[in-house]
Parts: sequence; C-alpha cells; structure tokens
Amino acid sequence: MSDFWSILNARARMFYASVRSLSAVRTASFVFVIACFVGGAYYVFFRVFGYLTTVEVIGPALLDRVIEMALFVFFIMLLFSNVITSFSTFYNNRELDFLFSLPVPPTSIYLTKLLENCLYASWATLTIAFPLIVAYGVTTGAPTLFYPLSIVSILVYMVIPAAVASTLIALILRVFPKLGPREVIMISLALILGLTYLYVRINNPNLLKIFETENEQTLLLFAAQLTTVGGIYVPSTWLSNIIKGFNGNTAVTVFNFLLLLFVSASSVSVAFLVAKTFYARSWLSSGEHTSKASKRRSLLWNPQRQTARAIFFKDLLTFVREPTQWVQLSIFLILLVVYVMSLRRTPIFFTFPLWRTVVAFANFAYISFVLATLGVRFIFPTMSLERAGIWAIVSSPLPFRKILLTKYFFSLTTAVIIIEFLLISANLFIKVERGLYLVMPVIGLFVAAALVSINLGFGSRFPHFSEDNPSRIAAGTGGIIAALISITYVAISILLLATPAYNYLSHTFMARPVNYLLVYAGFALFLAVSICAIFIPLRIGITSLERRDY
Amino acid sequence: MSRLVVKNLKKKFNSVWALRGLNLILEPGEIFVLLGPNGAGKTTTLKLITGLLRPTEGEILIEGADLRKDPIKAKSHIGYVPDEPFIYNKLTGREFINFVASIYKVSRADYETRLAGLLKTFDIGEWVDELSESYSHGMKQRVIMCQLLLHNPELILIDEPLVGLDPKTSKTVRELFIKLKEEGKTLFVSTHTLSFAREVATKIGIISQGELKFIGDIDELSRISGKKDIEDIYLRLSGEDGDV
Ligand SMILES: Nc1ncnc2c1ncn2[C@@H]1O[C@H](COP(=O)(O)OP(=O)(O)OP(=O)(O)O)[C@@H](O)[C@H]1O
Ligand SMILES: [Mg+2]
Repeated sequence: MSDFWSILNARARMFYASVRSLSAVRTASFVFVIACFVGGAYYVFFRVFGYLTTVEVIGPALLDRVIEMALFVFFIMLLFSNVITSFSTFYNNRELDFLFSLPVPPTSIYLTKLLENCLYASWATLTIAFPLIVAYGVTTGAPTLFYPLSIVSILVYMVIPAAVASTLIALILRVFPKLGPREVIMISLALILGLTYLYVRINNPNLLKIFETENEQTLLLFAAQLTTVGGIYVPSTWLSNIIKGFNGNTAVTVFNFLLLLFVSASSVSVAFLVAKTFYARSWLSSGEHTSKASKRRSLLWNPQRQTARAIFFKDLLTFVREPTQWVQLSIFLILLVVYVMSLRRTPIFFTFPLWRTVVAFANFAYISFVLATLGVRFIFPTMSLERAGIWAIVSSPLPFRKILLTKYFFSLTTAVIIIEFLLISANLFIKVERGLYLVMPVIGLFVAAALVSINLGFGSRFPHFSEDNPSRIAAGTGGIIAALISITYVAISILLLATPAYNYLSHTFMARPVNYLLVYAGFALFLAVSICAIFIPLRIGITSLERRDY
Repeated sequence: MSRLVVKNLKKKFNSVWALRGLNLILEPGEIFVLLGPNGAGKTTTLKLITGLLRPTEGEILIEGADLRKDPIKAKSHIGYVPDEPFIYNKLTGREFINFVASIYKVSRADYETRLAGLLKTFDIGEWVDELSESYSHGMKQRVIMCQLLLHNPELILIDEPLVGLDPKTSKTVRELFIKLKEEGKTLFVSTHTLSFAREVATKIGIISQGELKFIGDIDELSRISGKKDIEDIYLRLSGEDGDV
C-alpha cells in the first residue's frame, strides 16, 4: 500500500507543478469556460425543475423521475467513458513500461491507474451532475447538509463504474488474451448496452414505451406513473434516494448512503482481487498484440501520385486504427441521430408555425454548438497528432500550406456532411417554413467552414507535440482557446442572424413590414465575420507552423 | 556550386546559445562526420540544416537555394534521419515508406526498381506489413533509412546512425555510406562512434559547447593534436581530456 501512496504522491507533485506553471491567462480562461458551462447547466436545470414543480398534482413525482432518469443515464455514460479510457490507461500506455520496471507490486500500479482513470473518465459527467444536484437542492429547498453530503455521495458513486469497467476489461483480456484494443472496447460496449437493455426490459418494461407517447400531457402523466426509473438494483437509484431522502426522510438517505458506500467498497475490492490475479500477466500479453489486419492491402499499399491523397489516407488509417478516436466519434454521432429523431415529436407539441420556426432556430444554434465541440475534440488535435512523423514532414519539400489545406478540405467535407444532415433532417421533422429549408443549409456551410478553420488553425498555432492522446490535446490551453473562439463565433453569428430571423417571423406571422436595411446588414455582417473566421485562423496556423522550432 | 554552405549559423534557446557561429562548406562526394560530447550542439546543427529549427542568425544554402527564402527548393535536395526514429504508430512500415515517397513524388518506375533492393539491403522482412508500434528501435531505423534512400536525396543528414543497429546492419550502413559517397552524394553524419568516423569520414568536425573547434581530415587532426589514435585525437581536441 505504501507504494500506492508514493506513486500517488509523485503524481500529485507532477500535477501541482503543472498547475503552478500555468499562466494566469490560461487559468483564468479555463475557470471561465468551466464556470460558464456549469452556470449555464445550473440555470437550465433550475428552470426545468421550477417548471416541473408547477405541474399540478404530479409535479413532485415528476421531478423525482427526472432526477432518477438523469442519474441512470449518467451511470451508463460513466460506464461507457470508463470502458473507453480503461484500455489505454491500464494496458496501452507508455508510462506503464516505466511503472512495471519499478519494484512495486502490480496492484499498487493498478490502484493508481484506477484513480486516474476514474477522474479522467468522470470529470465531464461531473460538470453536469453537480449543477443538476444543486439545482434540485435549491428547487426543493433542501437543508444545508444536503450539498456536502450529496457531493460526497457522487464521489463515492463515481468509483463504481470505474471499478466495474476495469474489471470487465481485465476479465475479457483474461479470456481472450490475443484481442487488440478495438475488439476489447467493442465487446465491452456491446456487453454494457446489451445488459442495460435486458435489465430495463425485465425490471421496468414501461420505460421503453416512453417513445410511444402521443403528446406532452400523456408524456408527463406517463413519466409520473413510472415507478423508480432504474429499479432498485442500480447505484444511480441509491444515489437518487440519498438526494430525495433529504426532504424529510432521513432514514432513506442514511440507508442508501451506507448501501452505496458498501457497494462502492466491494466493487473496488473485487476489482482489486481481479487485478491481483490477472493484471500483470494481462499487461504483458497485451504488449504482444500485433495487428495482422494490416497485412491486407491498405489504402497506402502504393505511393500516391497526389500528395493530398497520401496525407488523407494516412490520416484516415491512423484514425480508424485508434479506437479512442472512432469509438468516441461514433458515440457522438449516434447521440446526434437520436437527438434529431426525437425532434420528430415536435410538431405534436408545437402546432403553431411561429413556434416551429423558433424551434428550428434553436435547433440551428444547438447544432452549431455541437459542431464546435466536435471540432475541438476531433479537428483541433489533428496537427498535434503528426508528432511522430513531424520530422519527416518538416524536412520534406512539402509546404505547410498544403498539409493544412488538405486537412482543411477533408475535415470540412466531414463537417459539412454532418451539419447538413442534421439541419436538413431536423428541419424536415420540425416542418419549418419553405424559405428556411434553403437558407439554413447555406448558413450551415459558412458555419462549418469557419469552425473547421478555427480548430485547425489554432490546433496548428498551439500544437502539443508531446502528447498522443487526442482528448488530452483538446483539453490543453490551445484547445480551450479554440473552444472559446468557436463558441464566440457561433454566439456572434446567432446574434447577427437574429435580426433577419426576427424580421422574417414578424413579417410572416404578424404581417409587420420588413426592415430590409436591418436584414441585409445582419446577413452582411454574418458573412464578414464568417469570412474572417475562415481565413484568419488558417493564416495564423500556417505562419506559426512555418516559424516554429520542432 | 557547393552542395551545402553554412554561414555564421547561430541558435539560441531561450537564453542559452546552443550554436555560436558555424561556418561550413561541403562538396559532392564528401562524408562529413561531426563529433562532440553530449549537448555540444550536433543535433541542433542537423535540425537547423533540415529546417526543423529556425536559425537565430546565419544563412544556409543547399545546392545554392537559400533555406529561409526558398525552403521548398532547398528541402527537395535533402534527406534526414533523426536521432530518435519516430514513425506513426498506427501505420505499417510499408505505409510509412509509401507516405514519404508520395510527399517526395518518387516516380512509379523508380519506386518499383528501388524498393525491392532497399528492403533487401536493410534486411527488412515480412514485418514491414505490421504496425510500426511493434517495431524495435533498430527496425524503425532501418525503415527510415529505406524511406530516405527511396527518394534519393543529394544531401543526406543522419543523426547518430549506428545507435540501435545490430553489427550486421551497421556494417551494411558503413558500406552503403561509402557507396553513396562514390555516387557523388554528400553525407553529414553526427556520431559518438569514433571507429566509424575513422573509417568513413572524408572530413571530421569536432564541436564543443556550440562551437566548431576543429575541422579537417583525419591526418590534419592528427597533426594538430599530436596524437595518432582517433580516441586520443578526439579527447584532446574536444577539450574532454582535462581529467584523464
Ligand atoms: N528545444 C530545446 N530547448 C532548449 N534547449 C535545447 C533544445 N534543444 C537543445 N537544447 C540545448 O542545446 C544544446 C545542444 O543540444 P544538442 O541536442 O544539439 O546536443 P547534441 O550534441 O546532439 O548532444 P547528444 O550527443 O547528447 O545528442 C544543449 O545544451 C541542449 O540543452
Ligand atoms: Mg544529439
């Protein structure tokens, strides 16, 4: 155990040193982004909960169901993200070579890595969970003790998915020692999805009927009638019981807290025992994994006549061979498709055309923000990911402009496909006015072009040539700057487009005269801002690549 | 026209001078070996000539093309092997070779005639179709050498070519260098292996603390230092023999 503490201590020092070396600007911008996000999430939850409590009779029950549902979804999300990061944290990580060479037992390495993985996989979910719980507390007027205790409960709770995910992967590797990262992650995700589905079917088949509700009223009624969403066997239910118990039922809180504590400790113990038996051996054999798949003729089986194609093929091959990349992209895309499909119900809720137009604009804003996030996660790191071959590229007669434009072209194509698919299908479902079918996709083109440029340009201006985990590259200073600029660009665009949109709405639905000057000014300014956002970041990126030391 | 002209090249990292004014001219058919203790500035010099570092001061001309003003033309004449052989982990050796060949626009005919021979020279087997994350240091280095000779540059810059190579490959490399020299190529090599310098170099430079202390062929250096053995010459001229 003392080894565990000393590894942890070394970790804490490294972390402290890196925090100390942060510039004030960086810290401030980081805190600002997180604060905006948490604040925004809190505001949304607070408004939603406020609305729910006003629903007659079933209000409080509804609120409880929403909390249970949210925590249940978080639990599945935590399992997913723990599985995705586990393989690279526990098996496929350069630091492990060093750690395993030290005279420390594998279990100490395992515990350190478990903690690391747990924090790394959970922080994003926590930034949503905290405002959710605080908003719940404020809405229900919970006592002061509610806040510290529920936060402690979340931390205890977070450990469970981490332990479960690492045990699952250890067991899979034990049974199939020859599997590569891609297969292990796929099997784990399939198992989790399958088990969740079975569990929900057996435990609470009504839950699946939620997609069949006809309108808002029946949806609300239906939700309120559901018994506990996740069922009594999932940790998220215990967590929601702890939170709910504060409104008068202390015994429930205490019981569920003890239960959570017990299960959390047990899951770590089981994970620890599994690790003790298998971890060192699995780690060794995972290093022996070599990919046979590439023996087939791949895209780069021959030299390409066009350099752009060679660059694209190289990027594509490295992308599909890195599970953390394509698994995360697929999850994002699946969630987006689910979101768009859920808009199919909107015409039922919003019969008045004015509202539909408003929903269409809200959808446009939402999709732009999503694209900004996707850009920071997937486009920002692309230049940094050249790290291993950067010496070959820089010493070759290949101009940086060409590399960047090639990457730009392919990222833009992908981004345009995603944004246009989302915009067009969402607008079809919402049944917007005819004019918007045409205008929005055109605007979408500019937004995609600008967002790709911002992320590629700043990704080249602030590359991380010492890191090969794309999520960590995206979470660095440069990533935060790119995220801030992307979000600012989207916000400005929406403000600028609001004027023409407002004029259009008031003209169509209230027969007010159109102020053409404002409409044209709005569009012209949007175009100007977009063109700047397309050209300036790319320019900055190219110049910076040309002028830096490698 | 000289193959490589370096004029008053200086490089400063933050406040530390890593290179304090290097002058050098290399002609076709020369093998220049740069010797010097750790941290002397060898890697810095090579990276400056390949364009991986930006000079603080000075000029670099490759086949008459100014590296700063016309980088594309200048770089089209060089091939570089870094001290740490990095390759994209998720590409196979063959894919990496093809990727670089595409960048240099190696013609299909050249590619087909050269590749098989190079794979054989460097003893690159079936593993060329495995992902490079499973390669050893020496395997990566062999793939990189193969990639370099495929695009057939006039000026070849190699940082510590022998580190990690087995005796057989290292012998191949020595023979290859001499063959390349005879073909009129210019090689610029940094190394710590003195026997290698003695065997292949037509010109030896000794660098210490960012300054080129001496330059000449082995006989000249022997005369200046008053020593016969390459090891003694090196220790004397690099000023490392103080406490011996
Ligand atoms: N990126 C950098 N930032 C700061 N200082 C650097 C950087 N690269 C090199 N240096 C410094 O420049 C000096 C020369 O380093 P260089 O790598 O050229 O030495 P070297 O002769 O190749 O040594 P070795 O034989 O160990 O490879 C050293 O003092 C080193 O600390
Ligand atoms: Mg060096």
